[in-house]
Amino acid sequence: MGVSSPGPLVRVAGLRKSYGSRLVLDNLSFNVAAGEIVGLLGPNGAGKTTTLSILATLRDADAGEVAIAGHDARREPRAVRRRLGLAPQSIAIYPSLSAYLNVELFARIHGLSAAAARSAAAAALDIVGLSERAHDPASTLSGGMRRRINLACAMAHRPQILLLDEPTVGVDPQSRERILQILRELAESGIAIIYSTHYMEEVERLCDRALLIDRGRLLAEGPVAELVARAGSRHRMELALRGHAPADLCAGMTGVERVDFSADGDRLILMLADLGKVAEVLERARAAGFPAIEFNLHSPNLSDAFMTLTGRALRDYDEIQG
Amino acid sequence: MIRTALLVFRNEFRLLLRDRMSLFMLFMAPIVIITVAGFSLGNMFGAPAGARKYLIPLVDRDHGAIARAIVHGMSHDSRLRLVSAGDVAAARAILAENDDAPIAIVIPAGTTAAFSAGREANIVVYVDPVKQVEAYALEARLTDVSRAIGMAARDRAQARLERMRAEAGTKAGNLSAQIRAAKSEIAEYQARAASARAALQKKLAAEIAAQLAQIDLQARAALSAALRAHQAEIAAKIADKQAAMATMVAYLKHLQASRGAFELWLGQLKAAAGAHAGEIPSPPAWPAPPNPRVIAELNAPITLPSISNDIAVPAPKVRIDMPSVEMPKFPLLALDLKRLAPGPAIALPGVIGWRNRSLTPGYAEVNSFDQYVPGFGITFLLIDILWGVSVGLIDERDWGTLQRLQVSGAPMSGLLSGKLTARFLIGFVQMTVLLGVGRVLFGISLGRSPAMLLLPTAAIAFSAAAFGLIIAVIAGARDAVLPLGSVGAMTMSAVGGCWWPLNFEPAWMRSAAQWIPTTWTMRAYNDLMIRGLPPAHALKPTLITFGLGLAFLCLGMLGAARSLD
Repeated sequence: MGVSSPGPLVRVAGLRKSYGSRLVLDNLSFNVAAGEIVGLLGPNGAGKTTTLSILATLRDADAGEVAIAGHDARREPRAVRRRLGLAPQSIAIYPSLSAYLNVELFARIHGLSAAAARSAAAAALDIVGLSERAHDPASTLSGGMRRRINLACAMAHRPQILLLDEPTVGVDPQSRERILQILRELAESGIAIIYSTHYMEEVERLCDRALLIDRGRLLAEGPVAELVARAGSRHRMELALRGHAPADLCAGMTGVERVDFSADGDRLILMLADLGKVAEVLERARAAGFPAIEFNLHSPNLSDAFMTLTGRALRDYDEIQG
Repeated sequence: MIRTALLVFRNEFRLLLRDRMSLFMLFMAPIVIITVAGFSLGNMFGAPAGARKYLIPLVDRDHGAIARAIVHGMSHDSRLRLVSAGDVAAARAILAENDDAPIAIVIPAGTTAAFSAGREANIVVYVDPVKQVEAYALEARLTDVSRAIGMAARDRAQARLERMRAEAGTKAGNLSAQIRAAKSEIAEYQARAASARAALQKKLAAEIAAQLAQIDLQARAALSAALRAHQAEIAAKIADKQAAMATMVAYLKHLQASRGAFELWLGQLKAAAGAHAGEIPSPPAWPAPPNPRVIAELNAPITLPSISNDIAVPAPKVRIDMPSVEMPKFPLLALDLKRLAPGPAIALPGVIGWRNRSLTPGYAEVNSFDQYVPGFGITFLLIDILWGVSVGLIDERDWGTLQRLQVSGAPMSGLLSGKLTARFLIGFVQMTVLLGVGRVLFGISLGRSPAMLLLPTAAIAFSAAAFGLIIAVIAGARDAVLPLGSVGAMTMSAVGGCWWPLNFEPAWMRSAAQWIPTTWTMRAYNDLMIRGLPPAHALKPTLITFGLGLAFLCLGMLGAARSLD
């Protein structure tokens, strides 16, 4: 993919980066349009943070091109920075300052006047739901609140592009929901968002498109549903029954295939062609005198797509990396 | 860049105002340490610090004037309290039991007698070795007292000598007046004698001249008569000679005529002889006649020169030298009257004492806080600025705010400028406040121009901020700042003379100290505050401090561009 097409706000072409002998990015290319949320998904060490750092002009690529709103990141870093908002993985705020002063400071550094920065800070804190705690020192707020301040600092100056690096790490569920909601609203207002994470669920819920990255290479790119479809369409069902059910319990059922018993032998593992077969399976078991005590369903997702593409699970990879 | 610098500058103050520990370290900690150091180490500057009083046991075995003088001399110093001790053991016990008793004084028997007789008199001072520093200060005080006693005794002897000298002077004055009168009379007599001698000499010369004139006339007359007689006799003899001469002349003329006749005869003879003419022998040669002019001269009359009777005879000069008269010498006249006058005062050899005078217009006795307020102020300024700059930068990097600031469009130069300027100003205010507190609480000197102290203050704050940047670059991590920064600040403080005077240090350390800014800042402070020198003396050390700070800044900026960007 080249950088010649005029439409996208973010154009990345042939990005290459090494740290010493270790190749971190290998010919990475993608585009992001205005109002689009693109998930950058990959295990730790895949090159997500390096990609964001190059987009944010904090690092130079060894090769390749990056254009933000038509400005080359290497030659016009100031123009690029004016259009960017970055929420780094660490909570990059001053702990002793209040939420308001943090946001106001970065807004002013971005070039807003004093009055505009005050107004922008108040608005950003309102968006992230911290108006009531705006003047409390950041160090006294919860981790989730600080994450939201982190986000407010990135968006207060109304950037065209938001770069978010693991913005929900360590955040409680309520704050996570709040953040995801805010991002959706921002995207609807026309802001392009690049969302780096290794939480595939967030990408599935939030992103219009996902970029699957591993070892600096783009494995796959496209709408989330398309990527999931690459992992297949069958649903996995684990079924715990009262009593010891026979192995051929579901024999003859169309669209239902027994795969195996679980390792402890208590659970039956089935693959279903569609979710409509769940009721049939449960009814068959009840009729056979082995009513279901519990069952779990696992539908195909990005993690499965990743496994399909790499032969490894995302979480397995994380554990290896960790 | 300026906008960024200003925003970062403001933010630094916001952060500082919310950091109570930093505020404590900026102002309270240095005041506490300065107070402790100033009161504890004040003796290093020669004066017992504060209101502390010292107890000094005195063992008096002399019971004389010396002991009384020592007690009297020390009673003027309110910091000293003398207590009588029966013997050395009792004095030792007092030293051992009292922290405020660093020395004991023992005045041996016979001290006053030896002193009065001009012999050496030694007073024994027992020193508690643990309290050496205080002892040094008190020994100096004892020396002052001893010198005062010696000077008092000497002054009394000097007064006695002065009285004797005054009496001798009066007597010499009277004698001198008498001699002057005698000298005057002799001079008058000498003048009269000289006048009489001159008149006599003149009279004798006139009489001799008259007699000589008479002799001259008589001599002239006798000479003229004798001359005329001789002249007549000569004239007669000349006339006789002239007559004889005329005869001779006539003969000669006749002879000449005869020669011609002979020549003619001879010719005729030869002709007559014919062939035999050759046999005729030649006649003898005729002598050549005298020159006619000679013959004419012989005929000339002889005239005698006339002789005048008036022969000038030079008159003899008459000079009369009167024999000199040796005037008798009066023995007293040989005396030098000036030496009889009272000479310079007779001074007894003085007592050599050491009295401190400041080399400069400043005070010789230094308020220890004049050293410790700027000294420990600089130490804390270094610590606080090093910590503020280094940890501030590293924290920002670790927090991610540095990255966020950069992404926000803030250039690194603006970030560093804002941070360093803020820390510079904080250090400047800190030092200024400490100097003010030192003035109010401890009465430190601010020199002739207190405003000039702001120059070295600004210079050291600048250097410290720049050095903090270097520490941030070298340390790399927060945990490394404390050891590196502390060692840097402490070393610069110690070597630079912040904790003790620079001249306490060995030569090599003093040489090394020339390369650190604290040395020059302390020199500027000492020049202005302790030495009381004119403000211009602070310019050179201030400029050097700024120069070193500039070098630090260049190094720090280069390193920061690599490690922080």
